[in-house]
Amino acid sequence: MSDAKRVDPRRPYRMASSGLRRIVLGEIISGDRLPAGEKLSSSTRSKPLRTNVAASRWHVAIAHSYRGRLDDHAREAIAAAAILAGPETGVIAAVLGPFLEDAALLGADKAVVFPELDASRFQPQREAATIQALLDEYQPVHIFMPDNILGDGDLGRRLIAKNGNSSATHVAEIDATHISIPWSAGSILAGAPLPRFVLLQAGAVDSNLPFLGLGEQILCSGAMGVAEDCRDLGMECPEGASIPLEEADFIVSAGNGVSNVATLEDLARSLGAAVGASRVAVDDGKFPREKQIGASGKTVSATTYFAIGISGAVQHLQGIKVCRHVIAINRDPGAPIVKRADLTVIGDAEEMMQALIARVSQARAQTEAAEVEE
Amino acid sequence: MNGFSVAVLISAGRHPVSGAPRACRGDVAAMAMGKSLVGDELRVIHAGKRDEPSLQDYMAYGAGTIDVIELAAESDVCSALASSLGEVDLILTGGRAEQGLGSGLLPYLLADALRRPVLANVIDAKIEDGGAGAFEARVRQFLPKGQRRRIAGPLPLVIAVHPIAASQLKYAYARRVSGRTEILSDLSASNRAVGPNWTVEMVPRRPVRLRAQDKKSAHARLLSAIVSETKGGVVAFEGTVVDKAQVVLNYLREHRLVEF
Ligand SMILES: Cc1cc2nc3c(=O)[nH]c(=O)nc-3n(C[C@H](O)[C@H](O)[C@H](O)COP(=O)(O)OP(=O)(O)OC[C@H]3O[C@@H](n4cnc5c(N)ncnc54)[C@H](O)[C@@H]3O)c2cc1C
Repeated sequence: MSDAKRVDPRRPYRMASSGLRRIVLGEIISGDRLPAGEKLSSSTRSKPLRTNVAASRWHVAIAHSYRGRLDDHAREAIAAAAILAGPETGVIAAVLGPFLEDAALLGADKAVVFPELDASRFQPQREAATIQALLDEYQPVHIFMPDNILGDGDLGRRLIAKNGNSSATHVAEIDATHISIPWSAGSILAGAPLPRFVLLQAGAVDSNLPFLGLGEQILCSGAMGVAEDCRDLGMECPEGASIPLEEADFIVSAGNGVSNVATLEDLARSLGAAVGASRVAVDDGKFPREKQIGASGKTVSATTYFAIGISGAVQHLQGIKVCRHVIAINRDPGAPIVKRADLTVIGDAEEMMQALIARVSQARAQTEAAEVEE
Repeated sequence: MNGFSVAVLISAGRHPVSGAPRACRGDVAAMAMGKSLVGDELRVIHAGKRDEPSLQDYMAYGAGTIDVIELAAESDVCSALASSLGEVDLILTGGRAEQGLGSGLLPYLLADALRRPVLANVIDAKIEDGGAGAFEARVRQFLPKGQRRRIAGPLPLVIAVHPIAASQLKYAYARRVSGRTEILSDLSASNRAVGPNWTVEMVPRRPVRLRAQDKKSAHARLLSAIVSETKGGVVAFEGTVVDKAQVVLNYLREHRLVEF
C-alpha cells in the first residue's frame, strides 16, 4: 500500500442554499449526510409555484380517475391547462371518481373531486349536468380533456354538443394560439385557432411540470335529481384468462425462471389476471406464441404487471412500457427487471408463487367473511 | 313490419394509405348491426355528393338502395340529417369518418338536435318490445381492459357503433353493380357549416409536443444532464417466503390493485 493520502469522496458536506454541496475542510459535521431518498424528495418538492397572482380567469381540465389516480393521458390534459395558463389564470382539475393524489404536483390550483361519478357507473346525463354546472360557475376560457374511451371522450363530446361552437377533438399538437389534428387520421396535420373545448390525444403534452399548483382539494357531490334516459345493466367482467392480453388490466407473466406452469396459472386465476410470457418461456413451448410480450410479441397496457422469473431484457421491457405497477419475483437482485419494477421480491419463483396463492386465497376468504358479517 | 324503423348513416371512406375510395370500416360495422336488427328494411343514408365513388362499396356489402341527401361540400351535415331523420326510431352511425376532420362528434350533435339519447362505442345491440309500441335497445358498450358494459336505452335513440363490432357482411360484385342511389332531398343550396377554418398542411410531419418552459439554473440543468434517474422500487430481500408474500399483498392492497 502506498502512503498517499486517501480522500474520502463522500466526506461530510453541507448543503448551501443554492443547492450546491459545500465541503469545508477541517470542519467536522456529524451525521449530516443526507440519505439519498430524502435528498431526492426534497428536490422534487422544492419546485416553485406556477404563479403567485390570485386567479381571475380559469382553465378547467376534466378527467375520470381510475382506482383513485389519474393516468398519464389525464395528467397531460391538466398539464396543458397549466402550461397555457397566464399568471392571472387559475387551473381547475375536475376529477370524476375518487382522487388520492396530490393535485399540486399535477399543476392544478384546485381539484374539484366528484367521488360518486366514477367511470365504473354509467350516468352520462348526471355527469354532463354536474360538469355543466361547474363550467357555468367558473366560465373557463378553455376546457381540456383527454380524448379516450374511458369515458372522457364521451363526456367531452356530450359537453361540446350542448355548448356548441368552438371545439376540437383528437388534438395532437397544441400551443397558446393554435391546435393541430391529424387530417384524415393520417400523418398530415391540419391547424386551427385554439378553441374553447380541447380534446387531447395521448402524447400531445409533456406532463412533467417544473412548477406546482396550489393543489386545494374540494370534495363535491354530483348533481342531484338528474334522470337518465338509459339504464346501466352492469359490467361484464370476463374471466381474467379469457381477456386478450392487449386489453387486460392485470397480467401475471412467466419467464425462464418459472418451471411449473400449472402453479403460475393457479396464481393468475387467484388474482383474476391474464397470463403472459417472455420469449424464452414461449420458445420452450410452455406457452403459445400469442402469449409473448415484448418487442417481437405483444405490447400490453395493464395497470399491474407481475413478472415472475423474468430477467427484464430490453426487448421484453419494450412491451410493458406503459404498465403503471410492475412487481417482480426473481432470484437475482442484479437482474435488469429490478430497475424497472416498483417492487421486487428476491426469492425462488416456485416457492414464492405457492406462498402467494396461499396468502391470497386466505385474504380473499377473510374479506368475504367480513362482508357476510356486515 | 317491425314496429320501429332503423337507419344507418354512411360516410365517404378513404383508404388511409392509398386514398382510394372505399366503404368506411366503422360505417360497415354499423350497417351490419342495422342489417342484423331489421334485415332489408334498413335505410341506408348518405349526406353528401350523389356521385360519391365509395357508395358503390357499400352497395357491394348489401346496402341495396342508398338514399342520398344532396349537400354541397362545406354545408352543415348535422342539421341536414336532423331535418330528414326525425321520424327514424334508431339511427346508427360509425365511430368517426375516415376522411377530413373525423371528430366523432356527429352522433352527439345529431342526438342533441333531435333531443334523444346517444350511446357510443356500441359493439352489439338488440331491440326488445316493451309493449304498447315502446321499444328498448339492449346494447353492449366497448370499454378498455377487456370490460364490456350492458345498457338499455329507449327508442328513439342514436347509436355510434365501435369499429370492432362484428361484421358478417360479404362483398359481392353483383350487388355493387345492381345497387342504386336515390335522391332523398337536395339541400345543396343550404347554409354553410359554422366552425373553424382548418388549414391543411402540405407536408407530413410529427406534431410538436407541448412542454413547459423550464427556467432552471445552469447548475440544475447540468445536474439533470449528468445524473441519470435510476428509477427502481423497493427490493424485498429479507424474511421467509410468507413474509415476502405479505409484502406483495400489501403492495397490491396499498395501490388498490386488488379488491380484497
Ligand atoms: C430481436 C429480438 C427480439 C426479441 N423479442 C423479445 C420479445 O418480444 N419478448 C421477450 O420476452 N423477449 C424477446 N427477446 C429475447 C430477450 O432478449 C430475452 O432473451 C428474453 O426476454 C429473456 O427471457 P427471460 O427473462 O424469461 O429469461 P432469462 O433471461 O433466462 O431470465 C430468467 C430470469 O429468471 C430468474 N430465475 C431463474 N430461475 C429462477 C427461480 N427458480 N426463481 C426465481 N427466479 C429465477 C433469473 O435470475 C433470470 O433473471 C428478443 C430478442 C431479440 C434478439
